[in-house]
Amino acid sequence: MTLGADGAIFAISIAAGLIGALAGVGGGILIVPALTLLFGIDIRLAIGASIVSVIATSSGAAAAYVRDRMTDMRVGMFLELATTTGAVVGALLAAIVAQAFLYILLGVVLLGSALMQVLRLGEEMPPEVEPSGLAARLRLASSYPDARLGREVSYAARRVPLGFVLMWCAGLVSGLLGIGSGALKVVAMDGAMRLPMKVSSATSNFMIGVTAAASAGIYLGRGDVDPTLVAPVALGVLAGAMLGARLLPRMANRHVRWVFLPVLVVIGIQTLLRGFGVGA
Amino acid sequence: MSGNARRERLTPDQFRAVVSTVLRTGVVTAAALTTVGFAMSLLVGWNGSLVGAAPTASAPTDFSYLVSGLLVLRPVAFAQAGLVVLLATPVLRVATSVVGFWLEADRLYVAITLGVLVILLGSIFLVH
Repeated sequence: MTLGADGAIFAISIAAGLIGALAGVGGGILIVPALTLLFGIDIRLAIGASIVSVIATSSGAAAAYVRDRMTDMRVGMFLELATTTGAVVGALLAAIVAQAFLYILLGVVLLGSALMQVLRLGEEMPPEVEPSGLAARLRLASSYPDARLGREVSYAARRVPLGFVLMWCAGLVSGLLGIGSGALKVVAMDGAMRLPMKVSSATSNFMIGVTAAASAGIYLGRGDVDPTLVAPVALGVLAGAMLGARLLPRMANRHVRWVFLPVLVVIGIQTLLRGFGVGA
Repeated sequence: MSGNARRERLTPDQFRAVVSTVLRTGVVTAAALTTVGFAMSLLVGWNGSLVGAAPTASAPTDFSYLVSGLLVLRPVAFAQAGLVVLLATPVLRVATSVVGFWLEADRLYVAITLGVLVILLGSIFLVH
C-alpha cells in the first residue's frame, strides 16, 4: 500500500464508520466493495477487514451510546442470547447448506424489509403500549433521553418471542454466511419489537460487535486479517463511528430511518447479487 | 424486581459508566497501538525493526510472532497487538456486564449474560 492509498482507505473508512454508527450496521457494505473494486484487494482479506470494521464500529459507537442511554443493554444482552446461539448453529451447518440459495433468500428478506421501512418513513415514534407480561418480566421496557425532542421517551418492547426468533435467524445467517447481519437486527427491533428507531440502531450497534467477535477468531486463525491493510480501516472506522455516535442522539428518529433505508436497499441488492454469483 | 433479597450495589447509571469506560479504554488502546505501528512503519517499513533487528520474513497475517515482534519494536507487531485488543473489547464488555448485573442484583440478567459469555468464549476457542 502506498501512503496515498492508505489515506484514501482511511477516508472511506471514516464514512463507513459514520454510516454504520447511525444505521446500526457494521460498515462492511462500503469497506468490502471499496477494497476489492477500487484497490484490487483479495476478497478474502477484504472480508477480514470488514469483520474488524464491524467490531470497530460497534465498540467505537457503543462507548457513547451506552453512556447516553441510547443503547438498551437489557434488550441487547437478551437478544445476544438469540444471536450467539443462532450463530453457533449456523457455523456448524455452514458446510452443508447451499450458500447461493441462502444469499438470494436473505436478499429478498432485506428488500422486503426495505418496503416495510418505506411505509414507516414519516413515523417519529412507534405507538406507545403497556409492556406485556413477558416484556415486564424481562425488563424490556425503559426510556431514553431524546435530545431532539428535549424529553425522556418511554418505550416497551412488543412481540418479544417474535423478536427473539428473528434475532436467532439473524445469528444463524451470520454463522452461515460470515456476515454481521446488523441490518436484520435493526429490522427485528424496529419492525417486530417496535422500539424507537434510535434505540434500535444504537442497540444493534452494541450487539454486532459481539456477533463479529465470535467469528473474528476464525478469520484471524485462517490468515484473513492483514494488520497492514486493516490499520487505516480500523482507525478510520473508529473515528467515523465516534462522530456518528455524537450525531445520533440529536437526530430525529425519522431522519435515522432515512439513513437506514438506503443502507438496507444497498445491502439487499449486494446480497441478492452475491446469490447470483455477481460481485463480492 | 429490584430491591428484593439482595440490595443493589451499583446504580444503573454507574453500570453504564463502567461499561462505557471499558469500551472506550479498549478502543483508545487499540487505536493508539495501531497508530504507533503505522507511524513506525513509515520509518522502517512494516516488517522492519526500530532496534535494527533483521526484517522478519513472516507474513503480516501470522500472529504467532506478535510478542517477539513487540520486543524488537516491529511496526507490524504493534498493528497486530492493536487488532487483538480491538477484537477482545466486545468480549470484555460482555464479561463486565456479568459483573454489572450481579452488582445490580439482577439475577435473571446475570444468567442471560453469563450464557452469552460462555457461548462467545466457546465459539472463539473451541472452533479452532
